[in-house]
Amino acid sequence: MSSETVTTSQYRWRANSNRLGLWLFLLSDSFVFGGLLVSRFYLLGTAQRPEVSQVVGLVVTAMLLVSSFFMNRAETAIAFGDRKTFLRSTLITLALGTLFLIGVVGVEWQIAPFGPADGAAASLFYAMTGFHAFHVLTGVIFLAIIYRNGRKGLYNEERHWPVEAAAVYWHFIDVVWILFYPSLYLIGTPVL
Amino acid sequence: MDENKKKEAYQIGVSVMILLVVLTIGEFFLGAVASSWWAPLLGVAAIKAYFVIKEYMHLPRLFAGEEEMH
Repeated sequence: MSSETVTTSQYRWRANSNRLGLWLFLLSDSFVFGGLLVSRFYLLGTAQRPEVSQVVGLVVTAMLLVSSFFMNRAETAIAFGDRKTFLRSTLITLALGTLFLIGVVGVEWQIAPFGPADGAAASLFYAMTGFHAFHVLTGVIFLAIIYRNGRKGLYNEERHWPVEAAAVYWHFIDVVWILFYPSLYLIGTPVL
Repeated sequence: MDENKKKEAYQIGVSVMILLVVLTIGEFFLGAVASSWWAPLLGVAAIKAYFVIKEYMHLPRLFAGEEEMH
């Protein structure tokens, strides 16, 4: 069935079904992140943490939080038919997501005074940030597709489910980092 | 009418952002002076996560009918 033959009511019904599917996926994904978080506290307790740069941690956290704001702005814009703001905000989100990746993998991983095999704290740090960074990379690719399709005019105020899906996925990545940030950078004293 | 709704939606986004910035700065300084206070630090993180899930991820939409999309 082509998009022209789908009525707005049918489209909304499908979007509701898709929304449920997306949330079920995110719920299952959160079990993996939850496992990593529990491992961190099981192995290191609340008195220890990896020796990482708190300044870099704060900067990358700020980038991800601001990116979530722009993602929300992009979604709101397309929901009200403001295509220009949607495209601009999506592009800013994409750029901030890329900077976050550079900050974690390109800076934090390089300056860390330990490798992945240097004990439980080190392994956990690389596992948690690596798994999260992989999700950010996926989100960046997702956003690039949304931006490209948005430029082609595929979304409007009535039909923009892919934008909502990208936004919810992006915010999910943000929520995971909101919980990872104090666990890796703030709680406990450095052990390596 | 639509313009008011749009303005309100943007305003919610800005308010949540300000809240996240304030809580993150507070969290950073709390971690710097009292890194053993894991419960308050995780509590602040939970508050931040709650607002992102509710306002940015639109969790209530999951339970709303199709007429209540925006």
